[in-house]
Amino acid sequence: MEDEMILLDGGMGTMLQRAGLPLGEIPEKWNITHPEEVIRIQRQYVEAGSRVIFANTFGANRYKTAGCGYTPEQLIRAGIRCAREAAGSGVRVALDIGPVGQLMQPLGPLSFADAYGIYREMAQAGEAAGADLIIFETLSDLQEARAGLLAAKENTKLPVWVTMTFEAGGRTFLGTTVGAMALTLTGLGADALGFNCSLGPKELMPLVRELRAWTHLPLILKPNAGLPDPETGTYRMTPEQFAEEMAEAAQIGVEMMGGCCGTTPDFIRALKQRAAGFDGGMELIETRNGICSARQVAEDGRLRIIGERINPTGKKRLQQALREGDMDYIAALAVQQQEAGADILDINVGLPGIDEKAMMARVVGAVQAAVDLPLQIDSGDPETIEAGLRAACGKAMVNSVNGRDETLARILPICRKYGAAVVGLCLDENGIPESWQGRAAIAQKIIAAAEQHGIPREDIYIDCLSLTVSAQQAQARETLMALMAVRRMGVKTLLGVSNISFGMPERENITVSFLTQALAAGLDCPIVNINQPAIRKAVAAFQVLSGADPGGEKYIRLCEEIPAAAGKPAPDPARPAENGMAAAILQGMGNEVARLTEEALRTRTEMEIIEEEMIPALNRVGEAYEQQRIFLPQLLRAAQAASEGFELLKKRMADHPGNGLSRGKILLATVQGDIHDIGKNIVKAVLENYGYTVIDLGRDVAPEAIVKTTLAENIRLVGLSALMTTTLKSMEQTIRALRDAGADCRIMVGGAVLTPEYAKQIGADYYARDAKRSADIAKEVLG
Amino acid sequence: MEARLTEIRREEALRYMGITAAPSAEMARDLDRRAETVAAAARPKAVWRLFETEEDGTLKGTNFRPEGEDVRRLTGGGPVILMAATLGAEVERLILRTEGTSMSDALMMDALASAAIENVCDNLCCDLAREMAPRRLTPRFSPGYGDFPLEQQKNMCDVLNVGRLLGITLTPGGLMIPQKSVTALIGLTETDGEKAGGCAACAMRDRCLYRREDAEDGR
Repeated sequence: MEDEMILLDGGMGTMLQRAGLPLGEIPEKWNITHPEEVIRIQRQYVEAGSRVIFANTFGANRYKTAGCGYTPEQLIRAGIRCAREAAGSGVRVALDIGPVGQLMQPLGPLSFADAYGIYREMAQAGEAAGADLIIFETLSDLQEARAGLLAAKENTKLPVWVTMTFEAGGRTFLGTTVGAMALTLTGLGADALGFNCSLGPKELMPLVRELRAWTHLPLILKPNAGLPDPETGTYRMTPEQFAEEMAEAAQIGVEMMGGCCGTTPDFIRALKQRAAGFDGGMELIETRNGICSARQVAEDGRLRIIGERINPTGKKRLQQALREGDMDYIAALAVQQQEAGADILDINVGLPGIDEKAMMARVVGAVQAAVDLPLQIDSGDPETIEAGLRAACGKAMVNSVNGRDETLARILPICRKYGAAVVGLCLDENGIPESWQGRAAIAQKIIAAAEQHGIPREDIYIDCLSLTVSAQQAQARETLMALMAVRRMGVKTLLGVSNISFGMPERENITVSFLTQALAAGLDCPIVNINQPAIRKAVAAFQVLSGADPGGEKYIRLCEEIPAAAGKPAPDPARPAENGMAAAILQGMGNEVARLTEEALRTRTEMEIIEEEMIPALNRVGEAYEQQRIFLPQLLRAAQAASEGFELLKKRMADHPGNGLSRGKILLATVQGDIHDIGKNIVKAVLENYGYTVIDLGRDVAPEAIVKTTLAENIRLVGLSALMTTTLKSMEQTIRALRDAGADCRIMVGGAVLTPEYAKQIGADYYARDAKRSADIAKEVLG
Repeated sequence: MEARLTEIRREEALRYMGITAAPSAEMARDLDRRAETVAAAARPKAVWRLFETEEDGTLKGTNFRPEGEDVRRLTGGGPVILMAATLGAEVERLILRTEGTSMSDALMMDALASAAIENVCDNLCCDLAREMAPRRLTPRFSPGYGDFPLEQQKNMCDVLNVGRLLGITLTPGGLMIPQKSVTALIGLTETDGEKAGGCAACAMRDRCLYRREDAEDGR
């Protein structure tokens, strides 16, 4: 067993601190200032038996080492040189890369492109300096791991290993599960996967077993020397205990072992000795597969619903949102489908006159910020598919390829590169075969081509295509027959169901019946409008009959949630008869506002409703707030209720284009250096629901970006926020930049540390002490 | 000494939201529900280390020399505890996502989470006070308070290794994400030592909305 196992090294930080590195100092500087110490430590590891040593380059990135006096390239070159000298012959040197140190979007400021750039710089420097391989370790953000792996794979020829850091609950700090990590990084081409840091061998063992199930790649394990004493940061485990606990990992099939925090050359020596007696008999662990986001796996072997709502075909309101870049609307569609029980979301942004490639990446980002569901990238354009797969964190599905050689040749390599599952449609240059045998033949061709491109059979989904039963009645049966035939080929099946009932009265009956038959025939992934209660219930009923919903609990809960007779929600008896709209808004009753708006639309125009109903109602809300009869949470709830009405009006306008509804455009931003944007977001919610269009540039926004948009969009009111005293400077700079650029706009500022005097002093036109005041200012400036 | 979230004080959350009146029954119920959600998402974690201070103000065994008169007054050149605590990334994500569906809920959760991280810090300080007795703890003092520069945040985080141990990251401007995280320096005084520092010593003391009335009790 010892021969098969590759011994890695142990802790570096631990050893450097013992050698005198002060806490807080950048360890990589020692590659240049104290190379003899670095070499001495690494030589001890080699002498103890390490066959791969990790260079002292963990944090040698542009961000962490800024201002230290050396470039990443210098630190890495010196680090590899030290390791190479210690290694001698027969021992490999790994370029060691840790987290960038900034959190990635959407929670943090770091973009995928920036993370990629930082890692590319390190990987190229490492390869140039002569590293034998690249190891990414201690990562807790799967998106960061993806950026690193892609940067290394696309810019060097070196093997790339990835180990991530998990907590005892089986998730990383950022919530990634073992399955999601394994599926994503295996698909993306990592050469070995594993865990390092955070826990001791014993605590990590259940996770190692799980990892084995999700990937066929060689496994790496570098645990800490048990759990640290939180006060002193020291570890108490002995080398012998450590080696003993690692024996179980060998049994699971871990091929590369070393240690992390608290481990020393003695640990590696003990491991080497113990490895002679490691049990080579590998534990049998059942393989698992599926598709995933960073935090959630939709596992094979169970019914998975694909939500179809993010597809602009025939949906005017979504088309409008895409044209206007209204990601909030799209995120809401995602949340709705998640709540209704979708397991996977289809994303299609194909719309004439739109940059599909850029929009796909943007929508994927927005959807992943809002929900944890895995995605299906839906497009016929290879570049759009690639943009979607690059942005999507996790293992996605691609919809779709078909039996045409040209399509297969263009799209399959992209799926392979990103490790995506692929959906194949049973059609080719001759159209859709009428017989089930014809469709099965195309399926066979697609499967063969996919396998040839290195896509495993378990990642292939075949769509046997449902046709409109009103036009081609015999085809429903052919589809089901084809589905059964395709299942026998060992692939999975997927089917868009809604199409079947087009042109029929009471479509739902047909759709539900067909869905049920398809499920009985073994359909794995129906694509449906899961927001329809009948569809939800049909799926839930099937789960009861198939035994997937033990005791029918989920079904029963659903029936309670959506009673059979549910039409329109019953009028609320508590609803005051008079002054309906104002009362409904004031009480935050969104459903009621929507109902009243619909009612009003029968007799009045959109503008009349806004001017005669919504605005006066919002004014009353504002008064109540000023008089402290209600407070901020209620103000927001009222604004939100009003938005239900506005949303209906917007939808109406999308159906019947005419005059815009907006009372004017306002730009909002949290200034550069500041990330506290909840105040700005509150102002945004209020302004939007007072009928203004808000262009929200987000947080940590550079003055130039604010100036550029203000000029380009001809903005007449700019709102800036800052929470910290330290970022007020940046607010002042932004105001000056706007004035210098000659922007013809008024500027309002707000934030906890601002005062009216200070606002004046830095050249703002208005001090907005709260969200309500910002709406008053907007009225004054824009009307 | 485990990090513990034991209570989310509603009155504190209300103060963060600028609500001065007693909450209505409905608001109180809403707060209770959101508090449960926040508590369920919270993964409180903390680290601390005790350091001696060298002649020049550097903490022994580190490259960290806290700057400013306020810190010097607080610690009197004696031993110093550095601490860091966080609620974790899940709360951050919860608030961000809730902003997309209900700003009103997000506002409440944000305020409740602020109260929650204060509670985690208070609990840690209670434990520390017991551990350090008979010496007493000064109030917590964080980078950005008084004349303790925010620019030292990064250095302090590096010393405590908060990235690896707690999952705290810094923006280029030195702000922590997850946002519901705290780093602080705590001085140790002999039983009758001076109790300067905290809110009383802060330049913002007269206009700060978040001033702690009880800041002088050395919790």
